[in-house]
Amino acid sequence: MSDLAGRLRPAATSALVPLGAVVVAILVGAGVMAAAGVDPLRGYDAMVRGALSVSNIDFAVASFTAILAMSLAFALPARMGEYNLGGDGQLALGGIAAAVIALHLPAPAALLLPVCLLAGALGGAALASVAAPLSTRAAVPVIISTLLLSAPAVALTSYLVRFPLAESGSSVPQTPRLPDAAHLPSFPGTSYTNAGLVVVLLVLLLAVHVDARTPVGYEIRVAGANRGFAAYGGLSVPRLTLGTLAAGGAAAGLAGAIIVMSQPFRFIDDALTAPGYTFAGIAAALLAGGRPALLPVTAALFTILTVGSAGMERDVDVPRQLGQVLQAVVILVLALRVLASRWTARRAADAAGRKG
Amino acid sequence: MDVVNLAFVAAVLGSSAPVLYAALGGALCGRAGLFNMALEGQLLWGAFSAVTVSWWTGSAWAGVVAAVVTTTVFSGVLALGAVTWRADPIIVAVGMNLLALGLTGFLLRELLDATGTFAPAGLPGLPDLDLLDGVPVLGALLGGQTLLVPLALLLAVAASLWVNRTSVGLRLRGVGEHPEAATSLGVVVPRYQRATVLLAGALCGLGGAQLSLGDVTAFTENMTSGRGWVAVAAVMLAANRPLLVLGACLLFGAAEAWGFRLQGLGMPQQLTDAAPYLVTLVVLVASRLRVRRRLDEADPVAAVSAAHPEAVVHPEETR
Amino acid sequence: MTDRLPDVADPAAGAPPAAELRGITKRFGPVVAVDGVDLVLERGTVHAVVGENGAGKSTLMSVLYGLHRPDAGTVLRAGREVRLRSPLDAIAAGLGMVHQHFRLFGSLSVAENVVYRAEPGRRGIFDRRAAEQRVAELSDRIGLDVDPTARVDTLPLGVRQRVEILKALHREAEVLILDEPTAVLTPGEVDSLIAVVRTLAAQGTTVALVTHKVQEVLAATDRVTVLRDGAVTARLTTARTTAGEIVEAMIGRGLQPAVNPRGTVSSDPVLEVRDLRMAAAPGAARVRDVSITVRAGQVIGVAGVSGNGQREVVEAVLGLRPVQSGSVRLHGRDLAGLGVRERRALGIAYVPEDRPGMGSAATLSVADNLALGHHRSPPLAGRGRLSPRAVRSQATELVRRLGVRTAGVSAPLGSLSGGNAQKVVLARELHHEAPLLVVEQPTQGVDVGAGEEIHRLLLDHRARGGAVLLVSYEISELRALADRVLVMLDGAVTADLDAADATEEVLGAAMASARSAPRPEEGA
Repeated sequence: MSDLAGRLRPAATSALVPLGAVVVAILVGAGVMAAAGVDPLRGYDAMVRGALSVSNIDFAVASFTAILAMSLAFALPARMGEYNLGGDGQLALGGIAAAVIALHLPAPAALLLPVCLLAGALGGAALASVAAPLSTRAAVPVIISTLLLSAPAVALTSYLVRFPLAESGSSVPQTPRLPDAAHLPSFPGTSYTNAGLVVVLLVLLLAVHVDARTPVGYEIRVAGANRGFAAYGGLSVPRLTLGTLAAGGAAAGLAGAIIVMSQPFRFIDDALTAPGYTFAGIAAALLAGGRPALLPVTAALFTILTVGSAGMERDVDVPRQLGQVLQAVVILVLALRVLASRWTARRAADAAGRKG
Repeated sequence: MDVVNLAFVAAVLGSSAPVLYAALGGALCGRAGLFNMALEGQLLWGAFSAVTVSWWTGSAWAGVVAAVVTTTVFSGVLALGAVTWRADPIIVAVGMNLLALGLTGFLLRELLDATGTFAPAGLPGLPDLDLLDGVPVLGALLGGQTLLVPLALLLAVAASLWVNRTSVGLRLRGVGEHPEAATSLGVVVPRYQRATVLLAGALCGLGGAQLSLGDVTAFTENMTSGRGWVAVAAVMLAANRPLLVLGACLLFGAAEAWGFRLQGLGMPQQLTDAAPYLVTLVVLVASRLRVRRRLDEADPVAAVSAAHPEAVVHPEETR
Repeated sequence: MTDRLPDVADPAAGAPPAAELRGITKRFGPVVAVDGVDLVLERGTVHAVVGENGAGKSTLMSVLYGLHRPDAGTVLRAGREVRLRSPLDAIAAGLGMVHQHFRLFGSLSVAENVVYRAEPGRRGIFDRRAAEQRVAELSDRIGLDVDPTARVDTLPLGVRQRVEILKALHREAEVLILDEPTAVLTPGEVDSLIAVVRTLAAQGTTVALVTHKVQEVLAATDRVTVLRDGAVTARLTTARTTAGEIVEAMIGRGLQPAVNPRGTVSSDPVLEVRDLRMAAAPGAARVRDVSITVRAGQVIGVAGVSGNGQREVVEAVLGLRPVQSGSVRLHGRDLAGLGVRERRALGIAYVPEDRPGMGSAATLSVADNLALGHHRSPPLAGRGRLSPRAVRSQATELVRRLGVRTAGVSAPLGSLSGGNAQKVVLARELHHEAPLLVVEQPTQGVDVGAGEEIHRLLLDHRARGGAVLLVSYEISELRALADRVLVMLDGAVTADLDAADATEEVLGAAMASARSAPRPEEGA
């Protein structure tokens, strides 16, 4: 009886902290809206409608696809304790790789679609992989190297779409429209939501399976918990680092490929990085904690924040950056989860003290 | 020394200054044993608050003071979260960087009614130094700069003297290196960490002000664009030593100044923009490889975990 | 107030003792570590506080230094009762302590370490020259040779210890506690430490020397207080006692561990280490021509002061550290070029000394901790899958078999006591049924009861025909478990004894022997 209660309590707290973080963020958002002279209820109503109303849901689901993939990009290396903050560069490089293949490989859709997706994944993985030897051989932390690598990668894609890959005669820095064979098939009645969602969900299922039910997933967890223990057990920390970073980069690159292979079917400078998918993904991954199976839920939440804040800007004139602010609040409150666990530990100790 | 080279050095000094402020703050935090990765967000906040208050009051110096004060307050999030409440400093920093990005964009619209960029005619910027006009070399070096540029250089020297030549500096060095030993002699470690985090906030305020009221007179969304992370890399590169931080930041400034030159020669801006980051990363990797080789010989077992940020603060003491 | 028995020492004329503990009791949970102990430290004497590990001597000194608050009893300093809430109070009261693990700043100079937070200088400016002068004066006064400008992490351990002593003296300590000061020292350094201690006493400083080495007690001290199981068993005057009397008080009559029943030793060697050489490196000792053979059904103990190459030999056997020359063979197969994973797969299990850093992961569950190394083979894994259910049921079985006390196999390992966590590590490694088990310090940080169970498990393993290489700094542990005991000193094996001959005196002499093999030319 008490054993069951003892087992339930940590479970309850571990669910309580993320929920609390979201509640705090919503309250902060309400405060900010009130300060800006907007009725918070109207603001949030506009936000939810901006994401979920019939006319917006199509685009929101497409954004969800990208944010879910970006949450994997952060969550997979984070399983080992490595923070991949270079999602923007991986996303952009994946997008440009897919665009280059689509524009230069004349092939039927059945061949071109998987090849383009693969190229995108490889592009992202290649960039993220660089951080692995930098960490394991040169001891440069992944969090710094991924960031420092990201800016040049984004700049490179920006250069490419302005010069070698630019659409001639266009004033917008963008590639030509990809051939029809490289358009991801949409669902009936949608124009943004397409097969990309299915691909990302399959990748998520694979990640959840590997994490929970394979020796490799176990080894990644061991390495994340204690490098020394992993080395002692004969696990190759450099190889695991490389693997998780490549997997994370591949997820980001896949997101980039999916974006360029969807409406409007081009790589437009800034269009991949401007919406802030990377940080929405990071926030979603942090909110899900060590449970990859929760990623769809948290990614959906941050999709509403990200997409909905644009609707909020349109309808009630609250700047869309409020979405970013709320994400940041969620992350900060999550960082303080240690307080909650310390609090429960103290209560447990007090309870034990009373009994003894 | 011919004028062209002096102009180049002047450009280097100018573009290094904001990064130098942030990196000095980061180095002091590193000395206290806290790896401050929230420099990017603090710089950005400093740049925004400087421009806003400068616009409101019509005084650029009021903007500088506001940047210092409000960024110090903002750094309180890190002091409270990561030091007092012992939350993961990396996650707190990620949250702070995102918060600064969102909040400056939000307030840019709400307070200044601008999107993207705020650079109205009549926004007061910091005046150029004219004190040294006519003085040979110095006049050419600092003539076109604001007071905040030579101040940054002076602060680097002052920080070095403070750390190495004062009692408090000695205690600070001990705090980061072996907190338990410092505690056992009566030094309150969290107090040093909080103080350096707040000091780093003030320095980032100065750096942000130089960025938005000195380099240019404007605020642009995400105008720091990674400078705070270059500062973090400079802190690592210099192993928290203020004078070496100065060197690392000058290197960054040189890469940026070279970038501008190459742009003048027809190189696309997108590629030259990437140069400072790549140069920083390459130098960082090269220097870490040397440390790492020593570490490997010393102890391959411990070297496995050396890539972790906690180990980065004091690479020599991972054992 | 003074109705208690006076200490054996006749109090110096009128002056109160430098420090006195009265009726000190300290409990940790249900364990009584120190039970009503009295201790009088006379001014200007060297007072040995001796006992086996776990006898309570470190706890007692921690109370004196303000690290632990006693549950009962009082601390007096120069005749006056003092309340020590922290070491800072103790420092202010004129007490100083040199811990077994030094608390020094490696990148700072000797002078900076000594004066830290008691710096000379004016208006906040640190007067480096005054600090260096002060250190020079202090070290002159007690006959030490320390360069005040040297960086501490470039200094050998013996010199670092002197820095710790200077630190206490700079703070005007009149009572100096030395906690197991010789554990990290070479024999030569031990001699000069004893000289320093005698000089200090002659100059009026009172020294409490915590140790379990009888020779040091005889060489360095004036008075002896022996503790066993948290209580005083003898108060002696060094000049009028013998090693035998002290040892008897330490371990009690008839408690000599019975020589353990031998397993049947087969003739085939399981592990053969031949002429192993490894260069010294910062943080790693050198190894000079070490050869060790372990046969099935045999426990080979490696004795020695920590840092004489034992850890390096073990890491060479496991493939964690490269060797200069020499070979490591398992069942006759040369292991050169093989990594940790391959060597473990060939049949080496390993219980490392550094349990939290290497042998386990505190944040992972007990079940996950028990799975490492078993996670790629049946019954846990098959066809690329790892079954969480199999991981849990194997863990449940192991926890039951070894009697690990835990809230459940899903509890994080960090929630277990030291002894139970060590049993988890041991359970995992024993479960490999590997022909060779390498064990370092199996009972360090483990309470007495769990320690005995761990010893029993190791002996059971030997009885089943396992070969064990046991590294320990505890002579009593080596005597209880090993068939043969090798002694390592400065990277070389200096003695190879049958367990029956490996008495405390013989081993102690071999571990401290200054007449070891002539130093070979420094290896390139």
